[in-house]
Amino acid sequence: MIARPPFNRPRNGDRHTPSSWELLEQVSATSLDEDYGRIAARRGGRGSGSRRRPQVLGAVALVGLGLLLTVTALQTRSAGPVDAQERSTLVRQIHDREADISRIADRSDRVEAQVGRLQGDAEQIGILGDALLDSLTVARLVTGAVPVTGPGVRIVADNGSDSEGAGAITDNDLQVLVNGLWEAGAEAVAINSNRLGSLSAIRTAGRAITVNYNSLTPPYVITAIGDPATLEGTFADTPGGQAWFDLETNFGIQFEMDTVDELTLPAVPAERLEAQYATRQGELP
Amino acid sequence: MIAILGLVIGLAAGLVIEPEVPDSMEPYLPIAVVAALDATFGGLRAYLDDIFDDKVFVVSFLSNVIIAALIVYLGDKLGVGSQLSTGVVVVLGIRIFSNVAAIRRHIFHA
Repeated sequence: MIARPPFNRPRNGDRHTPSSWELLEQVSATSLDEDYGRIAARRGGRGSGSRRRPQVLGAVALVGLGLLLTVTALQTRSAGPVDAQERSTLVRQIHDREADISRIADRSDRVEAQVGRLQGDAEQIGILGDALLDSLTVARLVTGAVPVTGPGVRIVADNGSDSEGAGAITDNDLQVLVNGLWEAGAEAVAINSNRLGSLSAIRTAGRAITVNYNSLTPPYVITAIGDPATLEGTFADTPGGQAWFDLETNFGIQFEMDTVDELTLPAVPAERLEAQYATRQGELP
Repeated sequence: MIAILGLVIGLAAGLVIEPEVPDSMEPYLPIAVVAALDATFGGLRAYLDDIFDDKVFVVSFLSNVIIAALIVYLGDKLGVGSQLSTGVVVVLGIRIFSNVAAIRRHIFHA
């Protein structure tokens, strides 16, 4: 075997390096397979015949080398574009996602603004709704759609002794009485627990007076909710009050009026609250 | 001549056939190539030194390739694959360099 001149050892006497230097020295000194030398020595004389022998085995090994080289090169080359492609795909995906994010952020801003606007609207609607509810409550109270309770007066009226003639209370008498109560400030009126609504009529049908199509029998109990302090006094001054004063004094009709702390009046029957032809005109308040 | 012909045939065959390498073997191809190159340069140097021998060349070629791949495979199993392949490449690289240096001296007599 051909001996290679050993590496020059460092002369500075560094005690830490020699072992690694020896390793490198050994690697480069034995870079040629020792078997070449041994075989050649056994054969005696350098290269006698070995170069002339057809080197088929070596050629086969070199075929293997060529194969290895091309296969590896092809493998590396085909892997390269794939990597680059994957990378550019990822980069594109990143850009796409970034665009998505900014688009979504924009949309979120828009939606937030919309939410703010809608909240303002909702507050407005809430205020409007409260006002509507208030006016609806008032409307239901004064139209008789709901039972009401409150202070007021109770009037008990009955026919006089001549109950078939001049001493009888007529529908007109009751109309005058109720008108007087309205005039005196009554907010709800009922006759014998028949609440008067805006469609209620007091009229004679046959021999009886009817309210909301219900026949009444004397004595008539008229309840009215209003200011208990003034209702009675004011009523006496109205034409209705005057008329009934006359009835009482001239025809013996009984009339008693008391102030009551709490009265409960029923609602108007549902069929007396329907409107079939009247429709609303203009906007609600 | 026949040796160079073999190399050319191998290259051409690789290009023409384009064999599919299984994924499990793929990481060991580069190391195998370096080992094969080492054996080949060693053989060339021996040829120039006039001590070339077919059998020695083939045996060193095969054992180089197989042992290098095995070492890296073992390293992969132990979790030090990249370090071990670096070590193998360093050692084989030094051998290739010194062999090529010897070949250069033969050819240019310097």
